[in-house]
Amino acid sequence: MSKLYLLKILEIKKETEDSVSVSFDVPHDLHDIFNYKAGQYLTLKFNINGEEVIRSYSLCSSPVFDEPLKIGVKRVKNGLVSNHINNNLKVDDLVEVMPPNGRFFADVKNNNYKTYYLFSAGSGITPILSILHTVLLTEEHSYVYMIYGNRTENSIMFKAELEKLQEDYANRFILIHTVSRPKSNWSDLWKSLNEQTFRKGRVDTQAVEWFVKEYPPYAQNVEYYICGPGTMIENTKKALKSIDVPDERIFIESFTGLNKTNNSIGMENAKLIALLNDEKIEIAVPKGKTILRTLIDAGKEPPYFCEGGMCLTCMCKLKNGKVHMNNNLSLTDKEVEQGYILSCQSIPLSDTLEIEYPKK
Amino acid sequence: MTNNKMMHALPVDAYTLQKWFDLEQKHIFSKTWQFAGLVEDVTNPGDYISVQAGLNNIFIIKGRDQRLRAFHNMCRHRGTQLLRAVGKSKKAITCPYHDWTYDLEGKLISIPKKEEEFPDLCNKELHDCGLNLHEASVDVFKGMLFVHPKKNAPSIMEFFGEVAPFLGPHIPEELIEYKQKKDEPFYVKEIHANWKIIVENYIDHYHLAHLHQGTLNMYDHSKAEFGWAGPHYWFYEPLVPEYLEDVKNAAPYPLIDKMPEDKMGAYVPWLFPNIGITESESAWNTFHVLPLSPDRTLVTIRSKTMNVSEWEYTKQYTKSMASKVWEIYGNRGKYDGDKNDPMASGDFMLEDIYACEQQQKSLSSPMFSVGAQAQRGEYAIGRFQEEIKQWIEKYRDNE
Repeated sequence: MSKLYLLKILEIKKETEDSVSVSFDVPHDLHDIFNYKAGQYLTLKFNINGEEVIRSYSLCSSPVFDEPLKIGVKRVKNGLVSNHINNNLKVDDLVEVMPPNGRFFADVKNNNYKTYYLFSAGSGITPILSILHTVLLTEEHSYVYMIYGNRTENSIMFKAELEKLQEDYANRFILIHTVSRPKSNWSDLWKSLNEQTFRKGRVDTQAVEWFVKEYPPYAQNVEYYICGPGTMIENTKKALKSIDVPDERIFIESFTGLNKTNNSIGMENAKLIALLNDEKIEIAVPKGKTILRTLIDAGKEPPYFCEGGMCLTCMCKLKNGKVHMNNNLSLTDKEVEQGYILSCQSIPLSDTLEIEYPKK
Repeated sequence: MTNNKMMHALPVDAYTLQKWFDLEQKHIFSKTWQFAGLVEDVTNPGDYISVQAGLNNIFIIKGRDQRLRAFHNMCRHRGTQLLRAVGKSKKAITCPYHDWTYDLEGKLISIPKKEEEFPDLCNKELHDCGLNLHEASVDVFKGMLFVHPKKNAPSIMEFFGEVAPFLGPHIPEELIEYKQKKDEPFYVKEIHANWKIIVENYIDHYHLAHLHQGTLNMYDHSKAEFGWAGPHYWFYEPLVPEYLEDVKNAAPYPLIDKMPEDKMGAYVPWLFPNIGITESESAWNTFHVLPLSPDRTLVTIRSKTMNVSEWEYTKQYTKSMASKVWEIYGNRGKYDGDKNDPMASGDFMLEDIYACEQQQKSLSSPMFSVGAQAQRGEYAIGRFQEEIKQWIEKYRDNE
């Protein structure tokens, strides 16, 4: 397991009715370790009611600002950790935190000349905000076109910050808000023009196609970043692919990497051979159980961390056999093609299989 | 026959010999971002244009995602050109020779009689056979399209970034193109001079008050500012006070709305190697120089003006004609006489062409030599030649 550090909470700010942002104080000697790229996440560990829980939250702060590390956390209905953070955390509390990680980031450079399309919905704004801020500040020639979906006008996180960016970078930042359940009142008639620029609807196929057509890219090196809940990511990606956006230009971040046991698939007692820390382990995997859990329950010590298909700590190579991955949020298509799997997500689909963990 | 006489930094040979022309084509025009047109030339998905950029013929096509792609315009089979000039493509690009077909991403998707004729070609999917179109790069700078023959070309901003702050405040994509005939640029002319002679004329400050004493005298040459930014030349000069005072009436076209009143004038940069821009109080022009041979060059000027109604243009024209400014400025030939004589034409383009062609002619005279160089007014000419020399030498040493 990767190393955890105790960080002190500097500030907790209510962003909307059901979300907060939490800033952490990083001591000077940990600055290098907690250095991050715009788009990456922090992984936190809590002990809630005697249970150890681990969750990752995208950083919404920008690495090029002199500002503390900040995450945004929106309440999830019945969500153990998100509610704990919203209800119980206080300034000066110490939290166990793993250094920033993640493959969803923009490779921001001074002399880049790119057009960034940012698609976000709900709390998916967090890594997008970090990328947005960082690009606008660092890449003076690049353009950013962003569409941000929310349920209502009131659930828009970081609204004031976004408005400020619109003012400061009016010539190369376009932001379209889209709201699925707009509140319309007679009083709207007296609202300023700025407040009325909402599109109605979700970030869906239609919205994506409209957006790209309405705001064609200026700089021709174009990248597309997507983050949001549920089907928003899949829908956005599908819409982009349907207009021939190449895969290698699309970057996605999904928050829904939760553990789900899947009993409907998998082999009964598949025979697993695992090469781990110079040991050859032979073991049977019960139906529906992951390779990682099988090894842990047998008293072995395979590398792992998030168990959500994100952190890549448990990555290994499948040398023989076939598996199903419940959730692959981090391996690239190319890595999958080369035989890499996430052992925390892999359920055997063949009678026998052989895997090898990287040497320590 | 080689000649060891010098212009400034370059030998006279650089302006007359095929050998030099070939070196430039290979080491300058095939290795730099090359002007390919204006953004509106490729408007809708499927629209394409093809351009010659040094030794490469490259086409630009717009995808359904509104992003431009660039490919080398030749079939991977036996090299036949795929697309002609301009047009609109439906779903695929088919070579006229043997009907090899590529999708709009440049991937090979069909070969007629593949199994019979090419049984050993490749046992993978066609697009994995290493026969997709060669990718090139395309990008947009100041409303202009540029192509680069390499797939992973250095960013266009690395090339133009330094000169960008010296350009005019014009936003070309908001302006509309001014044409005298439909589907033809504002001005196209084959000039009998080496392309560098034409560039040197464009960046020569010294000649403005002399060759163009009666044609470009509405600009105040004595207040000109100019210099270099990276490999590019920048230039600005204000209007003369009499024109400035009456500019709202006297301007030939409606004034460019982005021009600040305290900076009315002309920005006339030269972007290396072969595209000039003339950004003035009422027009924005590209001046593209395409070398055809050591002593022939095609000059194409495209002109853009304010996107306002016909009526606004008519009003402006009427006011301009009535303005006293033009009684003194901008319409008198250098000499009096037959209007067919370029020197009496009152047309600054004809004056420049005349000077360039006459200079080119003299290069082959046994008596030719450059007598002296004006230290300020002709400084840019020597500097431009240094730039050419560097590019050629950088590569020639490696061969």
